Amino acid sequence: MALSPQELVDMLSGLSLFADLSRPQLEQVAHKMTEESYPVGQRILRQGFTGTGFYVILDGEVAIKIDSEEVARLQKGDFFGEMSILLGEPPVADVVTTRLLHVLHLGGPELEGFLRDHPQVMYRMLKAVALRLYNASRTRS
Amino acid sequence: MPLETKQVASALAHVPLFEGISDESMARLSAVTGELDFEAGQFIVLQGQVGTGLYVILDGSARVVRGSDELAVLGPTDFFGELSVIDQMPRNASVQAIEPTRCLALASWDLLDLLESDPKLALNMMRVLASRVRQHGELHRH
Amino acid sequence: MVVVGSGPGGLQTSYYLRHLGIDHAVISADPSPGGMFRRFPFFQRLLSWTKPYGPVPREDRFYQWFDWNSLLAEEPESKAIMPTLMDGSSSFPSRPEMELNLATYAQRTGLRVRYDCRWESTRRDGERFVLQTSDGEYRCQVAIFAVGIAEPYKPDTPGFEHVAHYADTRSPATYAGKRLFICGKENSGFELATGLLQWAQRIVLCSPRPAKLSVNTHSLLGVRARYIQPVEDQILGGGVFMLNASINRIERLGSGYRVLCSRSEGGPELAVDADEVIAATGFVCPLRDLPDLGVSVYGRSQLPSMTNYWESATLPGIYFAGTIGQGVSGMKKYGLPANSGAVHGARYNARTMVFHVAQRHFGVEQPRPVVEPSRLVEALLEEATHAPELWNQKSYLARSFSLDSGKGILDEGIVPLADFVDTEGSAAVAIAVETDDTGDIHPAVYVREQGRPAVETLLSSQPLHDFRTAEHRAQLSSLLSGVTAGAVR
Repeated sequence: MALSPQELVDMLSGLSLFADLSRPQLEQVAHKMTEESYPVGQRILRQGFTGTGFYVILDGEVAIKIDSEEVARLQKGDFFGEMSILLGEPPVADVVTTRLLHVLHLGGPELEGFLRDHPQVMYRMLKAVALRLYNASRTRS
Repeated sequence: MPLETKQVASALAHVPLFEGISDESMARLSAVTGELDFEAGQFIVLQGQVGTGLYVILDGSARVVRGSDELAVLGPTDFFGELSVIDQMPRNASVQAIEPTRCLALASWDLLDLLESDPKLALNMMRVLASRVRQHGELHRH
Repeated sequence: MVVVGSGPGGLQTSYYLRHLGIDHAVISADPSPGGMFRRFPFFQRLLSWTKPYGPVPREDRFYQWFDWNSLLAEEPESKAIMPTLMDGSSSFPSRPEMELNLATYAQRTGLRVRYDCRWESTRRDGERFVLQTSDGEYRCQVAIFAVGIAEPYKPDTPGFEHVAHYADTRSPATYAGKRLFICGKENSGFELATGLLQWAQRIVLCSPRPAKLSVNTHSLLGVRARYIQPVEDQILGGGVFMLNASINRIERLGSGYRVLCSRSEGGPELAVDADEVIAATGFVCPLRDLPDLGVSVYGRSQLPSMTNYWESATLPGIYFAGTIGQGVSGMKKYGLPANSGAVHGARYNARTMVFHVAQRHFGVEQPRPVVEPSRLVEALLEEATHAPELWNQKSYLARSFSLDSGKGILDEGIVPLADFVDTEGSAAVAIAVETDDTGDIHPAVYVREQGRPAVETLLSSQPLHDFRTAEHRAQLSSLLSGVTAGAVR
């Protein structure tokens, strides 16, 4: 869907990652990130490739695949790409679109500065990553 | 019991989680952390109990146990309990001192306060969690 | 087959369709060729270079890296037209020079365009599309829209209906002595501010966020250096004001306006009076009823969602050329976009898209010459060093060779990189030129084994950007020896 700048900010205010931000802060986020769209069956993150970015899903769905095996699906409000950027290592999974996708994209080199500028976003992201770790370690046992 | 900032700083000098944090955060850390001593064989945390804090080993060593499996052995500058950033999470493994062991303890609510106010600490924590997710098959932590 | 538009995208597309012998009509609402360059930019030269005295002769394929404004052609007299029209006083053409460049290209190549023919609506008729135009109906199997991001956009904030859009800017003398309020701090807003700096009594530039300047982003993103004179005037207090505020409403005040806004830093509502208000608030794609037909659009420019070959992601048979192609992100490594929004990227996208359409819909195959195994490494490194497609569209277009042991090594030509790395097909190799967040320029090799997605290997950079070194040869040979069963050494 094509959102006007105001509608985009409205949509961001409904995503949990940005739940603690004021309207001017949401406008900052919208200004720094770029809207992109990908068709079905498109890889956005590629196992082993350099130069990955950070993505927040506005609409649509992706599948996370490790060695071609699907391990999870992500939808509106979910984010991906931050692990590779923070660790400075290529992704260990592919992220493939399963439905027409509309995302916000932030270039990898800009993520750290972005998180420092928006500590509330980092805090939310921290909790989400911790939850991922918790679930990952539970499924193993 | 609260410790001197200098003592805390030197104890944490080699712990990656606290690398580069602001002086202000270090001062706050020393105000809210305490030292705890454990005897050989004593459980520092128990699997299944709701986690309430982060521990850094200052001296001694401890084993990480889940069920009957020993997952890892930890020594000075190793830390565990970082998952207590999520509220009310039961510990997913036990940690038992192998020999007399001294730990620095940080309550989860104080850790959360620090994470909210120090972006560098939050970034460090994110990196730790991210690398743990990647390694979850090899290294086992809370 | 119908092509809509006679700007750079439409002209380039039509040229290659004709080159491949594909019958098609080109329609344009304009009376003459040039697209956006018939009107914009108003006050400045273009932001894309053409170096009349570049390091390479103009006949050389690599000269295209030093000439971002000429369209591509196969005949010598239609290549590199832009430098022949420039007077030597600048490496950046003026708008009239650019318009003449495109008109000369259309004339020399003999492209046939139906001008003053406005596309009004679209419908399906079985397998075909029917375009209703001011000159009747056009039926086609495939339609290519090169209509630009050309429809002025103004927010629906109250009062904007009273104010002019950037697109309606008049001659500079008519702004003499006026208090000017410009909504927007991107290239168009700054272009106006720069062009009207000596005419206007006062200029206020307003948007919620501070301006993003390309000199700060160290890239082509943000307001370009040539347009930021107003920033210096603002710093020195010379009658230019940068306001970080959202506009609440615009009221008429006598023969002028009162703009009521809320500053981003907070505080009470601010009222700014002005003689002229210009909404430099951007443009959207004039896709008319295509969304109703099933073309999904996104973003504030209302770009269509597309595949890696610039086909609508939701309505097959509808393709896009020209600046709209920027909606295909490609790999976008390190967040750096390719140049698909500009002529120097879009011209290659158009050619690649046409070859794809020709093969998909009209059964016209490109020749795929056989390459001697002993020559493959050299061919790849030569491309990395001198292929303008790879240099203009870094991490976006690649040169590809298939490595089927039965057919031998075949030159597959220029391919979209994102498509190559994700397609699981025959064994193949592709080379691209890439850059990273440090500005390092280096080749990237993607090797695909039969039935597996491609694997990436970055080669090292070289101070003079010549990648035909012993080190590169050795690295590439060893990468390829496995997948070619030792045929390439």
